[in-house]
Amino acid sequence: MSKKGLEVQKNTSLHKKTREFFWGGWCMQTLWNYERQMNTAFMWGISNTLDRLYCEPDEDDKKKEAYQRSLEFFNITPQFGSFVMGIVAAMEEEYCEHPDTFDPRIMNNVKVALMGPLSGIGDALFQGTVRIIAMSIGISLAQQGSILGPIIAMLISFAVSFPITWFGGKLGYVKGQELLREISESDLMDKVMYACSVAGLVVVGGMVASLVNITTPISYGETFQLQPLLDNILPKMLPLAMTGIMYWIVKKGINPILVILGCFVAGVIFQYFGILAI
Amino acid sequence: MLLQSIIIGLIAVFMQLDSRVLGRLNFERPLITCTLVGLVMGDLETGLLIGAQLEMVTLGMMSIGASGFDMNKGAIVGCAIVIRSGVDIETALAIAVPLTVLDRFVVTFFDVVRLNLTHMIDRAVEASNYKKAKFVDIVLGPLTYCINAFAVVFIAVYFGEGLINQILEVVPEFIMTGVSLGANIISFYGFALLLSTMISKKNCVFFLIGFVISAYSGLGLTAIAVIGIVLALLFYQLRYGNGQAVTVGAVDELDELD
Repeated sequence: MSKKGLEVQKNTSLHKKTREFFWGGWCMQTLWNYERQMNTAFMWGISNTLDRLYCEPDEDDKKKEAYQRSLEFFNITPQFGSFVMGIVAAMEEEYCEHPDTFDPRIMNNVKVALMGPLSGIGDALFQGTVRIIAMSIGISLAQQGSILGPIIAMLISFAVSFPITWFGGKLGYVKGQELLREISESDLMDKVMYACSVAGLVVVGGMVASLVNITTPISYGETFQLQPLLDNILPKMLPLAMTGIMYWIVKKGINPILVILGCFVAGVIFQYFGILAI
Repeated sequence: MLLQSIIIGLIAVFMQLDSRVLGRLNFERPLITCTLVGLVMGDLETGLLIGAQLEMVTLGMMSIGASGFDMNKGAIVGCAIVIRSGVDIETALAIAVPLTVLDRFVVTFFDVVRLNLTHMIDRAVEASNYKKAKFVDIVLGPLTYCINAFAVVFIAVYFGEGLINQILEVVPEFIMTGVSLGANIISFYGFALLLSTMISKKNCVFFLIGFVISAYSGLGLTAIAVIGIVLALLFYQLRYGNGQAVTVGAVDELDELD
């Protein structure tokens, strides 16, 4: 295998690599698409690593393989994207060095296992917690006419986002190199993924019940109203049902653009006939 | 007027770039953008007030994946029009909402464009043209978002609320509300997309735990996140915990019985 590629990669400073993962993380949403979501952004973030590892012209087919590998479905909170990128970079190095013993499919498995839970936790952390705290302070200062409001809100946002993205990338890369030693021996990855998926799923469940609401205005005369009845059985039943229907739609693999347009049409129809409401 | 509209359009571009290349640092939020609009239009005080109000209204709106509903463009337009025409600041919200609804159609158009760009990248990689693949992602991608932001905000601000009102008069009420309802429904599609990578028959119970706790208690998302972490630790213990302690304890008790 190419010694030169590995050498170039190993001689690149950790600082430079961390910077690449950092920007890869912050630029996670440059080309969000309904097919594979943040896949192209992940490719862009890891591309420098791949360019270095497979720099010899006769290795183009390996490079192409690696690029195509990096274009698999991906979705994550941007600030955690650098962490996953660091881990994948470590894995790509390992694969480049030991192509016969390292199964490249592990890389996508790790991405898939990490992205879901980290998205759930990450979105709740950055958009749910950090932003709400930062903006609450900012709002109260702004209402008093002080420009310190938006300034302090941004300082708080930056103070959380920057270190997590920067050190997350570094951690993923450095620990990734260590974790690779243990991965085949113990089931550490499975354990961590299990814990992450529990936390992540609980959070997404909370999101469904709290972030967006669907109600029904269906009533009969003055005495019968459907929504309070549903609420007595299980509050937020309609959001849960709607999520279930959407999950079925996702599994069916219907073209996302059709789904979007269909939702608008359905929204107008339901609104007109008074079946559903916000 | 034209220059001012252009500058406000550029503020919208800056707002849009925040979530594209700065990891959503919160520059996109109404509190920040309306302050900027106020600064540019020479009425910082009103900008701050409108920013605060619109921020409060939209505080709970999150973007999961990209299913989120945000009023960032609407906030900029609403703030600019209110400051220019001197109406009361409550009008800002009344402008922001229909503009967000109209913008949704524009976003959908660009979503189709972005699908094509994605395929362009696939083809570029296939042809070993890695530079092009990277270029499409880092330049053309954000460009679609920026054109969207600039065009919508500039047109709305330049042609004023008259245009928005004309559209509103022509379009029946139920369509406007219906489109908002449709946008809500799309959010559930976004949740389902996220879940599809995470959930299975075995672990869907955790999703239900989070849902049920939140639905019955009305606890905020931060509380649910903390509960989620605690539950993760608990179940980790149950599943991978040190079973030795239990066995040793049982043996000790049996010994004591002799």
